[in-house]
Amino acid sequence: MQLRISHRTTYRYQEPVKYSAQMLRLTPRRDGEQHTLAWSIQAPGRRAEQVDAHGNITHLLTLEEPHREISIVVTGVVEITRTREVLREQGMLSPLAYLAPTALTAASEGILALAREHLEGAGPLRQRLYDLARGVCASVRYRPGTTAVDDPAAAAFERGEGVCQDQAHVLIACCRAKGIPARYVSGYLCSGSGHQGDAASHAWVEAWLSEAQGWHGIDVTHMEPAGACHCRLAVGRDYLDAAPVRGVRRGGGPEVMDVSVTATTIDAQ
Amino acid sequence: MRVSPYDEMLQSGGTPRPHCRDYWGWLEEQSQECLARKRSEADALFHRVGITFAVYGENSGTERLIPFDIIPRVIPAEEWSRLEAGLVQRVRALNAFIGDIYHGQEILRAGVIPAERVLCNAQYRPEMQGVEVPGGIYAHIAGIDVVRDASGSFCVLEDNLRVPSGVSYMLENRKMMMRLFPELFARHPIAPVEQYPDLLLENLKSVAPQGVSDPTVVLLTPGMYNSAYFEHAFLAQQMGIELVEGQDLYVLDDVLYMRTTRGPRRVDVVYRRLDDDFLDPLSFRPDSTLGVPGLLTVYRAGHVTIANAIGTGVADDKSIYPYVPQMIRFYLGQAPLLENVRTWILSDPQDKAYVLAHLPELVVKEVHGAGGYGMLIGPAATATQLDDFRARIRAHPERYIAQPTLALSTSPTFSAAGVAPRHIDLRPFVLSGREVAIVPGGLTRVALREGSLIVNSSQGGGTKDTWVLGC
Amino acid sequence: MLSRTADHLYWMSRYLERAESLARMIDAHQRLSLVPRPPEAVAQGWQATLVSLGAAAAFFGRHEALTARSAFDFLAFDRQHGGSIVQCLRAARENGRAVRGTITSDLWETLNATYLESVSFTPAMPESARGEFLEWVKYRAHLTRGVTSATLPRDEALHFTRIGTFIERADNTTRLLESRWRDPGGHGERLRAEASEWAVLLRAMSAFEIFRRLYRDSVTPQRVTEMLLMRDDLPQSVHHCLDELQTNLAAVANSRSDETHRRAGELHARFHFGRFEDFCAEGLPQFFDHFQARLRELGARIADDFLVPAS
Repeated sequence: MQLRISHRTTYRYQEPVKYSAQMLRLTPRRDGEQHTLAWSIQAPGRRAEQVDAHGNITHLLTLEEPHREISIVVTGVVEITRTREVLREQGMLSPLAYLAPTALTAASEGILALAREHLEGAGPLRQRLYDLARGVCASVRYRPGTTAVDDPAAAAFERGEGVCQDQAHVLIACCRAKGIPARYVSGYLCSGSGHQGDAASHAWVEAWLSEAQGWHGIDVTHMEPAGACHCRLAVGRDYLDAAPVRGVRRGGGPEVMDVSVTATTIDAQ
Repeated sequence: MRVSPYDEMLQSGGTPRPHCRDYWGWLEEQSQECLARKRSEADALFHRVGITFAVYGENSGTERLIPFDIIPRVIPAEEWSRLEAGLVQRVRALNAFIGDIYHGQEILRAGVIPAERVLCNAQYRPEMQGVEVPGGIYAHIAGIDVVRDASGSFCVLEDNLRVPSGVSYMLENRKMMMRLFPELFARHPIAPVEQYPDLLLENLKSVAPQGVSDPTVVLLTPGMYNSAYFEHAFLAQQMGIELVEGQDLYVLDDVLYMRTTRGPRRVDVVYRRLDDDFLDPLSFRPDSTLGVPGLLTVYRAGHVTIANAIGTGVADDKSIYPYVPQMIRFYLGQAPLLENVRTWILSDPQDKAYVLAHLPELVVKEVHGAGGYGMLIGPAATATQLDDFRARIRAHPERYIAQPTLALSTSPTFSAAGVAPRHIDLRPFVLSGREVAIVPGGLTRVALREGSLIVNSSQGGGTKDTWVLGC
Repeated sequence: MLSRTADHLYWMSRYLERAESLARMIDAHQRLSLVPRPPEAVAQGWQATLVSLGAAAAFFGRHEALTARSAFDFLAFDRQHGGSIVQCLRAARENGRAVRGTITSDLWETLNATYLESVSFTPAMPESARGEFLEWVKYRAHLTRGVTSATLPRDEALHFTRIGTFIERADNTTRLLESRWRDPGGHGERLRAEASEWAVLLRAMSAFEIFRRLYRDSVTPQRVTEMLLMRDDLPQSVHHCLDELQTNLAAVANSRSDETHRRAGELHARFHFGRFEDFCAEGLPQFFDHFQARLRELGARIADDFLVPAS
């Protein structure tokens, strides 16, 4: 399936910003089943491209001239041929690197109970993971606009609602508590595929099934495997490793952020 | 049964050891009043110069002196050269280990260390995987804490490979002793230590990124309210390099600059005294205002050297420490010259059972603790404290290790009651660049309270000058 | 030099200068109290000083009544008031501490000792010792400047220290004059013109003998003001401060600083080529307001060009 993606992020500041640095993870990953046919990033300032330890393509955007606005526009076409359940991807990092809890994925008592309830039963691991995803969605109901980006899993669990990011963090926390390596994925989800909301920007989870099988993508929010509609931008231990944009600035006062994302399928006849 | 500790200066029976005969003779001639006067002179000088440290948990800006003892700790040359060889060997192995972990992970493949103990450790930094660092050196500056056991042989208690501190006290203590007792330096062949800043600068320059011929080196400090700020300012001044804070540095493209009155200036080597977590808010803790946004990107691009490297904590974590002797065998094919202290890892069920059964004899430490906090000293603990630790260990065994209670060696120390033995340790500073070098001596810390085994300055510890004789 | 280092040096010397100037202001009041004056005149005099320092609101937030004693305590010892002498000495020392690797250890130890000693001075000290305290502040400021001049190399570090000193002194001298011009002294024009009060001001500024030598004439408000504004050979005068500011700014000039240098020159030219009569025609209080605003603007430009940009 081919996906046409357009993603515009604009930051406006009340006062001039003297210096800013943004870490962009806005270029689709290169994996065996995801091919970028065309991709462009338009942004002011200077840009340094790298591939990080997780295999994400990053751009460090630095701006020294005083500015009141930053606009980052990415557009492109990605072809996704994902048909298998597991990823064909050889990362630099051992799956064990995705087993240590982070500040955002530390398990609370409630999360531990959820993990025990769904992951300790018999049956194949893949099956148990989907039981768990259902459990997560029941415990943390999907509700847009309820979360801050630095909310840890335990806070979302406590609140009982959140967005895909929170659901992913809670599932990751459960997996790690039970010794299953799990990682956070940020990316795009094509619209018009019967998915809830307008979440063209999306987050889900990849869990390590076994040495033989490898990583398996689970869209927690939709309780289904991540497939040909899921374009992977970045993976990491949690949101902070995989955030599409992470920035720091000097000056500027209050900011207003405006995001618009579309991801539509192109009929391949 | 309590083993009587080894005394650095006196043999049993109270006669001085051969290498201390001269000094002890001199000390016995000094009157109590004279020694007391020298000590208050030292205090006044330290205050005026502002050699102070801040204490965590007190109001910011609270400054205290680290008590200084005017009686030196003396090490004979042949003992020092054995210790030195052991330290060099150990630090070589530790650097090899860190390099291996962030590349091929041979030692994990060989099953010498369980992989999850390393890769699931909070100190393992995935960001460093595959990153090439100049010369393959990660721990450019290592502070290795050694103690003597009851038999008098040195063993390693802890490796400090992140931002080890204390070297300024080694240098200032020496300066103070030379000022107070010049006559002693005339009659003892005491190995000098004041070349340390030159050696350090040379080392830092030698690990500059490839192609940089005259590198700009800076010292990155968290700022003047950090407990070790005096040391940061002191070392920067001694090396003649800029003392910078995060706000002085910025990244453009993938190059690091500092803001100067004449415009931006490129920086090649950062001797940082700031923990990994705070170095780059775009990659580590996003709320850090002490670091430099984008620094990791510059580092990964090979355009700056960070000393010590990011991620060295994976080798000095208390849960990794027990494996250092195996590292020496694995990487160097040698038998360790310096022993570890016997350590029980409480996540191991057998070890845990043993420790729970023998708690009153043991010392229990938090794996991620530092500064002597969160520690249980079995023989000195009350029944309530023991019960409390038993419960903590049962709840989170992975957070603790245990070691036997060591009879740390003692050294004569000037106390209120006169000259009396107090427990001490030693932190030599090992520099790794093109070569591995150690200035003879180190920082001797002393537990000033009678019978106390805690030498940390935050808990009633002081320092002494350390003399290596006859080098 | 690191911009932040320059910033600390600049503020280190500004705070030291400010502490000294406060001591001189208070000293002037102490000397005036020896001249018989009604209590309301004393209060009005202090009121004028507090207004010229921009500290009146802060004072009345912490004190009910304005008396010689409460004003002294507030300006000298108040550790909650950032503008008090002891807090200025502390700020000078903190700035010095941040760059103790750049300044000489002699200078650092002097700043540190000054601060450590200042801690022992409190409102509890006896009336008789208060004069000694003011002398002590002046003495420590002299000492610190002496150590600076004797030990700092003639490089950027010294230039930024000087820039701080002279921008602060220019500001303080005009504030001292301003407070005198604003003080109605209880009897309006007649008392303001009284020679003894202006003589007291000269003595507080250590400029009385110089005045006599230069003018060989009676003390009048006009003459004192003219001398402290226009003479380029007096270290206390505004003209001299602007001379020094010019020279030191030229020595550190960088690619961004042309406009700052031009404005400093423009301000300097008013004193170098201007006439005191024209300032008087403008109205002295207005002139002081205007001048201080220009000086603030210059300070902000210096910060932007060389030091740590604000925010």
